[in-house]
Amino acid sequence: MAAARLSIQNLHKSFSVPVLTGINLTVKRGEIHGLVGENGAGKTTFGSILAGFVSKDNGMITLDGVEYEPSGPKDAFEAGISCAAQELSLINPLSVTENIALRKLPHSCSVISGQELEQRTRSILQRVGLGSLDPDTRTGTLGLAERQLLEFAKSVFLDCRVLILDEPTAALTAQQASVLHEIVTGLAASGTSVIYISHRLQDVLEVSDNVTVLRDGRIVTTAPAGSMGVAELMEYMSGDFQTGNKTARCAAAQTPEPVLEVEHITTEELPHEISFTARAGEIIGIAGLSGSGRSELLNALFGLTPLTGGAISRHSAGEKVRISNPGTAKRSGMAYLGEDRQSMGLYPGHPVLTNMMVPGDLQGVASMSLLDNRREAAAAEKLVEELSVKCDGLDQDIDQLSGGNQQKILIARWLYCNSDIFLFDEPTRGIDVGTKNMIYNLMFDLRHEGKTILFTSSEIEELMAVGDRIFVLSRRKLVETFTADNWSETEILAACFREFATRTPHVH
Amino acid sequence: MRSLVKENFIFASLILLVIFFGLAADNFFSLVTLRTILNQLPALTVVTVGMTLVLIVGGIDLSVGSVLGFCATIVGMAMMNWDFSIVTACFLAIGAGIICGSVNGILAAYLALPSFIVTLGMLEMARGMAYITTDSQTMYIGASIQKLALPISGTGVSPALVIALSTVFAAQFILTRTVPGRHIVAVGANTRAARMSGIDTKLYRMVVLAVSGALAGLGGIFNAAYLGAADPNAGAGMELAAIAAAVIGGTSLMGGRGSVAGAFAGVLIIAILQNGLAQLGVSEPAKRLITGGVIIIAVFIDSWRIRRDRMRTG
Repeated sequence: MAAARLSIQNLHKSFSVPVLTGINLTVKRGEIHGLVGENGAGKTTFGSILAGFVSKDNGMITLDGVEYEPSGPKDAFEAGISCAAQELSLINPLSVTENIALRKLPHSCSVISGQELEQRTRSILQRVGLGSLDPDTRTGTLGLAERQLLEFAKSVFLDCRVLILDEPTAALTAQQASVLHEIVTGLAASGTSVIYISHRLQDVLEVSDNVTVLRDGRIVTTAPAGSMGVAELMEYMSGDFQTGNKTARCAAAQTPEPVLEVEHITTEELPHEISFTARAGEIIGIAGLSGSGRSELLNALFGLTPLTGGAISRHSAGEKVRISNPGTAKRSGMAYLGEDRQSMGLYPGHPVLTNMMVPGDLQGVASMSLLDNRREAAAAEKLVEELSVKCDGLDQDIDQLSGGNQQKILIARWLYCNSDIFLFDEPTRGIDVGTKNMIYNLMFDLRHEGKTILFTSSEIEELMAVGDRIFVLSRRKLVETFTADNWSETEILAACFREFATRTPHVH
Repeated sequence: MRSLVKENFIFASLILLVIFFGLAADNFFSLVTLRTILNQLPALTVVTVGMTLVLIVGGIDLSVGSVLGFCATIVGMAMMNWDFSIVTACFLAIGAGIICGSVNGILAAYLALPSFIVTLGMLEMARGMAYITTDSQTMYIGASIQKLALPISGTGVSPALVIALSTVFAAQFILTRTVPGRHIVAVGANTRAARMSGIDTKLYRMVVLAVSGALAGLGGIFNAAYLGAADPNAGAGMELAAIAAAVIGGTSLMGGRGSVAGAFAGVLIIAILQNGLAQLGVSEPAKRLITGGVIIIAVFIDSWRIRRDRMRTG
């Protein structure tokens, strides 16, 4: 436990602006080292340098006393540094087995027999709690949580000296996360050093031995995890941090006016009929374990998946519109934010302006389909300011923004369209606390203006803190609706598990 | 802004190329050279405009050369055998192009077949129809249509060239300054995200292929005008020249990125290279060798620029 495994001295890195400045860090053999900080603090860049994705500008890294300077991911891999990335690196058309084996294959000179491969895959899947998954499944068809566990599994069972985990639990339920944490603790006990990057501060404190806080590319503090609490960490991360803005949660003027009426809908993915009415000025949280049909419900509401039965109608100003595809949904004032920013929202390689101003019919900045560039830029500028997006200007490439700022841009799109029903799928996934609070406040503001929000989250506390009502889905069935006066976390959690009751829970 | 720099880079290469041939070949700047080059341009230009739009939306149209040939034979047939006026003949040709393009579009967008394969099929079918239309013969039309390709007196510019340039301007304008243009880029950059923004992605894929067909039809008219005859072999291999021009002009084969103005610069670069080399007395095989090299170098520079931008991102 004593020997230093990884030692970093005076590490610098900048991409046009400094991202990491004078980083000094030592990680011991078998140590789990937590790394926290707001988005844009430099956590991911730090991990990328160690994993060989990005080269450092300056400084010295030693691995078990030998200087380590990777020229690519392959060097890092051969030196025994393995990284489970935040943006998943799985190859979707390949099967689960192929994805897991991909990195191991070049390491063996002989051909691995199919049987052995399958056995190994099964045992790996078993260990991360995906025992029921068919190893031949195409990775692309899996949900985000499953893919995240797979990404983890892929990196974890290589004999590595240093393991970097970047937001490994962002898409996971509490149960899945605790399985993952057990594995990580086990690995550390056998001598692997782990760098654990996460926004889930409670997780970091529970799992890590030591925690380092980054702010604006500098280390603010490094301390034993036992000596700190969540509140203290937050203070270190951002000086002016205010805890959970509960005061903003006024009792909204709830009109009984229904704006969205869902009658007995079913889709291929949601075989049990779902009915509910959403009113103006309310926030509805959707709870459920991963794979319980949360995203599928929002997809159906926005017309992304065809209904096999029932109807969705939108009421506004006495009119009633049937929602049958994303086009009608958009035109009737509905907005949708997908759970995966990269594949469902962003236009990579395009500037902030284009990314922000895409979906609408660009009312106000276009007449007869002709764009007025100046008015368009002015409208975008205003939204950037309103949402306090950190960017170098509207021309900046969207890829250069941090995850939180990208999320703000995606939300800005719909604000511009004057939408009044917002469907947000995991709006705070992988986002720092500051931006999270901003998004909550934005949701409260929208409610105050009489808009309607339906959002999903893996964190029940978040749903309870923000929502007026909570729908619980369990195995693709709407099992219960809670209202603020009659809910408790245990009851909601119990409802999440209700349809699984016939099966033995596979965790613990 | 960035795309402006990029296009300027392409136009700078174009100017360098002109200066090089101006110095190397004695009479490169002569009126004859200019006329030769300009006269060859209209058909390839309009076809490249269509190709660029298809590439930006994330598809490809391999059938443009054959559709051009088929539409040229329709012009010949309509004017010579059916005794239609030149205007009616042109409408028929463009209509035939739209039909071919719409078939491509419906299959690729609504039946979700890969546009590469669908248009490869259309490449064969349209060529077959071209041969059937004229019974594999080149059909002489004559002066009535040739006036489209001949300079308007006193200007040195042919009506065909004027139409082709207008097409370039219109397409560039639509792409950069209109809502549908913005949506086309969005569909190419991330189809899933575009769909989730309520954009009708299938409609755009379909329409763009139909437009490409229409422009191939227009190209067929220009080709017939240039030759004064309907040649069923017209446009063979032109799909590859159009792709090359688009790519030289900075259009991505992966979709979501490209410029019609840049693609037009690509057309000019290829045309000037061909003519300049001919003037220098370079043999036909060597010309092809050099043209191929230029295409690869252009793509190399383009990908290097993108990678450099990525590195900055991190």
